[in-house]
Amino acid sequence: MQHEILKVSGLSAGYGPLRVLHDLDLSIHAGERVGIVGLNGHGKSTLFRAIAGLTDWQSGSVLLDGVEVGGKRSQGPGRHTHRIVRRGLALMPQGDAIFHGLTVAEHLDSGAYTTAAWRARRERREQVLEIFPPLRKLLDVPVGRLSGGERRMVSLGRGLMTDAKLYLVDEPSLGLAPKISKVMIDALMRINLDHGAMVIAEQNLSLLEGRVTRLLGMHGGKLKRGTDLPIGRNAAMEI
Amino acid sequence: MSAPEDTPVGGWRNPQLEHDPARAKVRPVLSAVGRRRWWFKLKGGGDRLWRRVRYPFTRRTVLRIRGEYNPKTLARERTVVDKRPIWWLIGLTLLAVLPPLSGNTSLLSAATIFAIYASINLVWMLIIGTAGIFSLATLAVVGASAYGAAWLSIQHGLPWWGMISTGAGLGLAFGVIVALPAIRLEGFYYALLTLGLVELCRVYVVQSKVFGSATGGLYGADTYVPEALQDSDGAVLLGYAAAFVMLLAMLGLYRLVNGQRLGRLLRTAREDEAFAEAVGIGYDRARVQVFLISSVALGAIGGFYASHFKGVSPSIFSTDQLLLMLAMIVIGGIGTAEGAVVGTLIVVLLDKLLIEWGPMRLVLIGLIMLGTVLFTRGGLFGIKSQFRAWRERRKSERRAARTEKGGEVVPEEATDIHDKQAIYYRRQDKLIRDYLRTLVTDELIEEHRRKPLGQHSEALERVLNYFRRGPVPDKYAVMAIKPFEAYRVVALAGRRGVPPRLVDDRVYPTLEEAYHAVFLRRVNDLLES
Amino acid sequence: MIDGYVIVSAVTLASIYGLLAIGISIIWSSLGMLNMAFGFTFAAAGYGAWYAAQQFPDSAAAVLAGGILTGALVGALVCAVAFIPLHDKPNFTVRALIATLAISLLGTQALLAVFGPRVKALPKVFGPKTFELTEDVVITADKLGSVASSIVLLLLVLAWMKTSRRGLEIRAMMQNPEGAALVGIGVRSTAFAVMAVTGALAGLAAVLLSQTYFVSPYSGLLPLIKGLIVALAGGLGSVSGALIAACLLGFVEAATSAVLGGQYVLITQFALIIAILLVRPRGIGGLLDETRE
Repeated sequence: MQHEILKVSGLSAGYGPLRVLHDLDLSIHAGERVGIVGLNGHGKSTLFRAIAGLTDWQSGSVLLDGVEVGGKRSQGPGRHTHRIVRRGLALMPQGDAIFHGLTVAEHLDSGAYTTAAWRARRERREQVLEIFPPLRKLLDVPVGRLSGGERRMVSLGRGLMTDAKLYLVDEPSLGLAPKISKVMIDALMRINLDHGAMVIAEQNLSLLEGRVTRLLGMHGGKLKRGTDLPIGRNAAMEI
Repeated sequence: MSAPEDTPVGGWRNPQLEHDPARAKVRPVLSAVGRRRWWFKLKGGGDRLWRRVRYPFTRRTVLRIRGEYNPKTLARERTVVDKRPIWWLIGLTLLAVLPPLSGNTSLLSAATIFAIYASINLVWMLIIGTAGIFSLATLAVVGASAYGAAWLSIQHGLPWWGMISTGAGLGLAFGVIVALPAIRLEGFYYALLTLGLVELCRVYVVQSKVFGSATGGLYGADTYVPEALQDSDGAVLLGYAAAFVMLLAMLGLYRLVNGQRLGRLLRTAREDEAFAEAVGIGYDRARVQVFLISSVALGAIGGFYASHFKGVSPSIFSTDQLLLMLAMIVIGGIGTAEGAVVGTLIVVLLDKLLIEWGPMRLVLIGLIMLGTVLFTRGGLFGIKSQFRAWRERRKSERRAARTEKGGEVVPEEATDIHDKQAIYYRRQDKLIRDYLRTLVTDELIEEHRRKPLGQHSEALERVLNYFRRGPVPDKYAVMAIKPFEAYRVVALAGRRGVPPRLVDDRVYPTLEEAYHAVFLRRVNDLLES
Repeated sequence: MIDGYVIVSAVTLASIYGLLAIGISIIWSSLGMLNMAFGFTFAAAGYGAWYAAQQFPDSAAAVLAGGILTGALVGALVCAVAFIPLHDKPNFTVRALIATLAISLLGTQALLAVFGPRVKALPKVFGPKTFELTEDVVITADKLGSVASSIVLLLLVLAWMKTSRRGLEIRAMMQNPEGAALVGIGVRSTAFAVMAVTGALAGLAAVLLSQTYFVSPYSGLLPLIKGLIVALAGGLGSVSGALIAACLLGFVEAATSAVLGGQYVLITQFALIIAILLVRPRGIGGLLDETRE
């Protein structure tokens, strides 16, 4: 068995009186690409946000590369996010690129913010531009003026600027044309993970089917693993 | 009599006849529920509820009283919903009686200063709280009218009542000038601009010969204290009485502006400015109106100030004075009249009682102000609601952390549910589902797939019976697109007139397959909960 | 009437105003806080420089270092007291404004209590020499020194903001604090860095201005207000806008005192600012942003 990158056990999280995640367990090993499939509002994004410490409250353990980054917390969303990120987490949030006023080049550089990555940012930027060639012409354009697909490329590219141990990609195809969605997923599949791992949350099962190491279903704040369930329950899951 | 051959019987055990050691060991978990709010209840009700004290010529009641039944004894009782009028009455009575009774002249003059500052702060609260304009030019308006009135009185012999009315006019003029940028600028730009304006006034007054740069202020204006009383204790008493009357007048103005049409308009509009504009509330117009009304009041206070102190000095424009006033309203809590008055009381008391501390007393006031703004959201009078909100948040988070999806009602929630039957229904429902979940096996699903209708095994029959009893909202159903050819699964809306929604895009060729699809969905939901 | 003397004093004023406004602008843009304790930082830095001058009477560097270090220290202190406890609380902007005003009140009074109301004079950092630019324009060494050092420092800060990692960090934080956390930027440590650097700028400005004026507990008030109105006219948060506004207001002040007299300076400046803000409610920087769009 490969080295364990992420181990989530008993994770519950929510916003105010709303509880979104219910005692969730998850373990991701190095070299894996895991797809999490589920409908809107069943907690995919909240899972990612809870791992990054961005939910209103959470409890349960989150081990990132063997270091505890979770724990019980009822206040201060985002207060420890930067420390978790520096431990090797790259979260590419749902929706748009995050800094609208920066140019594409600056936006990509901001992804390489950590000291070690900052020195190697130029080479790294070249690698990202190879994955997303359309960005090469747009380097000096403010992100706010790009199209939806280009923004998503910038957002994904920003996450790829560091050698993260764990990439969390939240809905890379959201709001994009089917063709462009395909391009996004292809790009994500081409990334060399080395000793890291990648988790992709997606609503569209067909985009991920057969291309990831494992596929998990998410329903009502709980994870369902396809292979572990008996056939009958599995059949129920697929609907 | 034996069962027909195609009726499966295997796999079912009656749980009631078996001893389950795991279930026997379960102990109830007791957790802190927290207290409900305690209200003071008045006895009685009935026709007494209808005989309320009202303000003359209006339908407004002095006290808001709610009549209700005690849920335990079913006796009639009354609750005072808003106790603030009682506190105001007590507080104002004490303020009216205590300083004159003490017979201490310095206390009385301190109380006079308190009443003047409290009046200014009340009007300021109208600007900041009601109109939502973060203006720091309040003292500048007061000072400008005071200077104008004092100058007119000294040069042209304006009497004291003329000073107050000219002050009001000057305040209006100054207010129009200051209000102009307020229409265009956003909050902070405006705050900074007005801070600069105060400094501009101070520098101008200090350098201007007309306004007494040589004597350090304008002195010798007319005063409302009659000649006979000058320099006696009676003058101090009269001064306090006049200032107190002005405080009452400003309280009335606050109530009139904040509690009536303008205040309500602005409170509504603050929720969503664009929407308010769309439904015809002139938000900016109302804000400027409040600002101008406040400026007139501030000008009148300025005229009174000049006639009370027989003049005015440039220190009214000093930043320290401005910060001290800000400390008053911040400590009391921005947005409430009681905050303005009590905050002023605290700061004036500290300022006058600790006079021998020198600058250190201002350091202390600064520290209190800092502490208030760091730890409270709405000053002294916001502590109660802030504490309640905090407790509610903790309570709901703890509740959410323990709530199981589709599980029993947790105790905190149970105290809030009025219909106790719902609690027991949920408990029963959970017991049933926990049990039914143990019955769902691959064989059971296979059995249903083979024969969705007809006689089933005991276990499947129990599961299906439970599904049939489910509530109508979101209940799965089969919709025939073309009879005998195409069926789809829908979910009922459960509300009259709302059509069912499609669950997915699959089409089933036979009714049996559609039945089975519905069954699978329900089994899935049962397993999830 | 616009002669060499007016231009020289306009440049002097513009450079010092730029130094004052840029700190306020950077803090607003990165931390979203209006630092009203800037005046207190200024006054405290003046006393720090004065104390350093008492300890090392002959060293100009010690005076500068004393001012800059005290400024940075006070800046960090303001950050610890006003920004750190409040930054993730509701209604942050108003509460931070009030908190810094409170710091300004109690800090000024504490200085008054410790050092007394008497003003203190700083030694001349740049020596007593004078230079003749033309036959009627004479410039003293301290004026030249303060103009040169503030322009150099302003350019340094601008370059640092545009190119360095910290500069990117500040601009990222101003765009989206949660996004900044997602790329690994710690809001608190950045806040300390920003407040210390701007505090150091205020400290330098304090030493430079105290070449002409004196150090007193209230000496921070006028620089605060001038810095605020320059930052305001420049469009809060826009560094280049603040620099343009500094030049504009410096020129207006120099011209007004030459033509009308010193007591009308604030009035003409205010008339100009209100005119700017009535036309462009977001200041000159807002104008730049819109044309760029």
